[in-house]
Amino acid sequence: MNQENMLEIRGLNKYFGPTHANKNLNFSVKKGEIKGLIGENGSGKSTLISQIAGLYPSDSGEILLDGKPYTPRSPIDANELGISIVMQELGVIGSLPAGVNVFLGRTRQFTKNGVVSLKALNKAAADVFEKWELPKVPLNKLTDGMMIETRKIIELARALSVEPRLLLLDEITQSLSMNNRNKLYELINKLKSMGCSVIVITHDVEELIRITDTITVLRDGEVVGDLVSANTTPDEIKHMMVGREISGEYYRADMVPDYGDDIVLSVSDLTVPGEIEDVTFDVHEREILGFCGLSDSGIHTVGKAVYGLLKPSRGRVRLNTRDLTVKSASQALQNSMAYVPKDRDNEALMIHASIHDNFVLPSLTELQAGVGYLAPGKLRKLAQEMTDKLSVKCTDIYQAMDALSGGNKQKVNLGRWLAKDIKLLILDCPTRGVDVGVKAYIYSLMKEAKKNGVATILISDELTEVLGMSDRLIVMKDGRIADVIGRDEDFTEQSVIRVMI
Amino acid sequence: MQKLRSKQNPPQEKHNNQAVFALLLVAVIVVISVIFNFISGGKFLDGTNVVIIISHIVWPTFVAWGFCFLFACGYTDLSVGAILVLGSFATAIFGSLLGYPGVILGGLIVGVLLTFLNFNIFAFTKIPSWIAGISLAMIYEAVAVFFKVNKATETLIYTVMDKRLRILGELPWSIIILAAGFVISYIIYNKTTVGLNIRALGGNKAVAKALGINITKTLLMVGLICGLFIGLAAIIQQSIAGRTLVKTGLTSINMVFQPLAIVLLAQVLQKRLNIIIAVPLCSIIIFAIFNLMTIMGVPSGTLQEAFLGAFLIGFGIIGQRGYKGVVK
Amino acid sequence: MKKLRITLQDVVPFAAFIVIFLFFTIMSKGRMLSAFNLSILLDQSVMTIVVGCGALFVVAQGSIDLSVGVNLALTSVIATWAANAWGDWLLIPVALIVGTLVGIFSGIVVSRFKVPSFMLTIAMLIGIRGIVNFIQSFIHTQAIPKSMGILSAPYIKYPAFVIIIIALGYVFEFTKVGKYCKAIGENETTARYVGVPVSLMKVVAFAICGLTVGFGALFSLSSNGGTSQQIGLFFEMRVAMAVFLGGVLVTGGTSAKLYKVLLGSFSITIIVNGLSLIGLSQTQYSQSIQGLLLLLILGVTILASKKIGKSAAPADDEEIAGHSEDQTAKA
Repeated sequence: MNQENMLEIRGLNKYFGPTHANKNLNFSVKKGEIKGLIGENGSGKSTLISQIAGLYPSDSGEILLDGKPYTPRSPIDANELGISIVMQELGVIGSLPAGVNVFLGRTRQFTKNGVVSLKALNKAAADVFEKWELPKVPLNKLTDGMMIETRKIIELARALSVEPRLLLLDEITQSLSMNNRNKLYELINKLKSMGCSVIVITHDVEELIRITDTITVLRDGEVVGDLVSANTTPDEIKHMMVGREISGEYYRADMVPDYGDDIVLSVSDLTVPGEIEDVTFDVHEREILGFCGLSDSGIHTVGKAVYGLLKPSRGRVRLNTRDLTVKSASQALQNSMAYVPKDRDNEALMIHASIHDNFVLPSLTELQAGVGYLAPGKLRKLAQEMTDKLSVKCTDIYQAMDALSGGNKQKVNLGRWLAKDIKLLILDCPTRGVDVGVKAYIYSLMKEAKKNGVATILISDELTEVLGMSDRLIVMKDGRIADVIGRDEDFTEQSVIRVMI
Repeated sequence: MQKLRSKQNPPQEKHNNQAVFALLLVAVIVVISVIFNFISGGKFLDGTNVVIIISHIVWPTFVAWGFCFLFACGYTDLSVGAILVLGSFATAIFGSLLGYPGVILGGLIVGVLLTFLNFNIFAFTKIPSWIAGISLAMIYEAVAVFFKVNKATETLIYTVMDKRLRILGELPWSIIILAAGFVISYIIYNKTTVGLNIRALGGNKAVAKALGINITKTLLMVGLICGLFIGLAAIIQQSIAGRTLVKTGLTSINMVFQPLAIVLLAQVLQKRLNIIIAVPLCSIIIFAIFNLMTIMGVPSGTLQEAFLGAFLIGFGIIGQRGYKGVVK
Repeated sequence: MKKLRITLQDVVPFAAFIVIFLFFTIMSKGRMLSAFNLSILLDQSVMTIVVGCGALFVVAQGSIDLSVGVNLALTSVIATWAANAWGDWLLIPVALIVGTLVGIFSGIVVSRFKVPSFMLTIAMLIGIRGIVNFIQSFIHTQAIPKSMGILSAPYIKYPAFVIIIIALGYVFEFTKVGKYCKAIGENETTARYVGVPVSLMKVVAFAICGLTVGFGALFSLSSNGGTSQQIGLFFEMRVAMAVFLGGVLVTGGTSAKLYKVLLGSFSITIIVNGLSLIGLSQTQYSQSIQGLLLLLILGVTILASKKIGKSAAPADDEEIAGHSEDQTAKA
């Protein structure tokens, strides 16, 4: 083991159900090193540092801290060994004052006779702000009314109050204003000069190169590159992040856009405050219209808004085939539209109900006989036919969904819509958490739907997927449309990534 | 978990001037009192009525403080009314056997024990607290009837609380106890590790856990604290009334409604004013309204209940403004 | 042919019913089984079953309606008064309309204003009881018009009962309404994302429940000949016990089935009837036993349902970092 390494990780594996989030990762951080960590959504970055921070245990592999085995049972263990983290998700309690948030969970040190001295606590908090030259925050006020930036600074103060030897920062810079970012960079350098190390996760490639010593690039749960910041370029990193072998058979063989002239859906000036702004596009018959962008680009919001699940403050979604404006999801359902949500277990499926119940739910209106009668035989037939057609691996159609694998769940998620006669299909990350075989099958289903005249909106975090399947590709950034590219134009990762990031 | 929305910033930092708001509320109370007095032709601010108001708000305020902690856990315990009844019995029985110490011990032991038992049931079975509470209310109400029907204890309950032992129900003791309750609940809620932890837990469970807060331990501690307040409420209530009516058929839930209305109103105000401070003030306001109704001849048991129900619905609606999650 | 899947969750309520039945039959030395007693049992179950089947729509969604008792009282009082004041025939339509309107009110407040159903219906429990007491303080008890007494005749009452149950059962098990209610109970977000009109379904469920309360009021009025000071007292608990003792989960969903209401109604009726047969009809026994039984059944059925399927919700430690199987994309 390298004596210089403060932290060394070998063969780290982490699974979430069938998803292999971290695959045999080797990773190390030297004392006094500023290490950058970057990758697409789903590459495993947050998973990796969450394990270092003690938020949850690894499945296999070893972590060594200063040469000794490191197995924290909780973030408190990690804190005691000098490791603290500022998480990506917001981590303050709104109903408590800022000062308390800094020391929450560690208030015993300010307690005398059972009573916490808020004065001592706030003084200690103020000292932390002072020591690290953080912008002042009113410590007595509840964090509830404070700006996101201020809340992030409080979390930073909390992480620093532990006197960390290793500080983990997960996407913190995107919520800071320019001058606060500069202060953060100074802070990071100060830690370095003290012999402490920092791991920084950010989407801003230029920033990463500027402030770090070395960079590790992750892709699909694996390390694809360990670079020295001074010797690399943004393009090299971006290429590593998203570049993959595109095997032609997998996706579409052709490189020509192929869709009808009739416009199925017209979206104009669609605006959802805080998420998307002035989104305008058309979807044609037989077209697969791809949407790609980073996590905050708004692509997922577009899908929800088109299906009537979000109320826009401005703009319209017009379904031309039925000549109506889509205002609610129930309208969408009744008018041959379909929506396959990204979050399979929580938004798409009734996880404790049977395969049968999940398959028939979107089709109940169509399955009615006179007087609204839903014949059990008819429902059973639909469920059985779809199960057979899609080869859903199960004991029978009455098995509960939660017993199925991710791939088979996704077959049900998508299949329940394909059982209907639909005109517009909205897919959000249709192959996420699904093995290669099912992935290929889903693409073949998409091609079949295309042949049958269905218009598809394909929203995906996976660049190769949208490049492989779309006739046209809309790239979004910060809630707006950044570019629209046709399949016959510059349909390469480079051109897309440039716009996306 | 609360998502990051970098493009959307919440409104400017509010002025957290609690003192000003508290004074505002007091001013509101004064104004209401004057108006009510006018409406009732002077009867509202009459000496005996003021005494009635002060002594009658004490126990609901204690229950409301207990509820602050209860709500912080995300529980709603509807058996509190039945626990109060049993606590009152214990106060009477122990009081007659042991004098003053018995008065205190009886109410406290029952209050703490039963509330703690409830918490264990809420925390460890997966039964939603509202229906577990209803089942427990049924059981506790039945237990109370058993006590009453037992000849030996019946006499202890009815004859015992003679004047001497009921001193806690009188001025100035009720005010002293109210002040003590205020100080204790304020300190616990705002200045103890356990109080801060329970508020963290109620605010964002995932974050609380990530910060190493022991959920089970915190929940059980809160059960004890809540029980303390319920027990005290039982002692005070028995001291004022001198006797306790047994309630069956879930009518004990009626006892819980006034404190519930107080806490719901205080919750609506809690962005401007610490909930512990808001509680006694809301208590006065709500009781004043019903007191006025009584003076004006609105019969209790009928229309007053109707108003109470309407208030609860109204406060509930206001309190849920802007709530975006799923509600069952 | 659908394979019959029998789970622990299904078995417990049946087992409980058998135990209860045997216990009271033995303890009452067989009087439970006398023809006379059996007919009383049936009679007492009618109201519970009818309103229980209506409440089933609400519970299937994961909500609860604790105001059915006071709704019954209010409906009875108003319908009787209307019939006496303006025309005998009004008894039926007014009862049905008032019951349904109260239900619609609950449904709107729960769906539009997002007030939890238990809180809202308890507030109504107290508020409407106040109103009913108020009305009765000067109207006092009333008798229904003589001509309406015919409703209590067996050849009207029982067929009506059967028809109502069949209709409710049909809607619940064989139409979109019932399926949508169950979907909302299983996962309201999923139902919404499919395009189920969730808010509308909530109002519909409470409205159906209110409608059955109207029927219940008619059954009650015809049996008793009129209103009383006790109408509807504790009735909401009766209905809740019927639904939950039958094995329906508090969260509803696909655990909500019509036969369970029948099972549970008989269970609770036997308990109450049995207790009086063995001389223990006083409140303290009746209530304590019901309270304990409810806790027990709820605890067991919830436990059994968690054991069956792997929980799909992310484990707590994954929740902390905002991860679940489906959220690693954020990493």
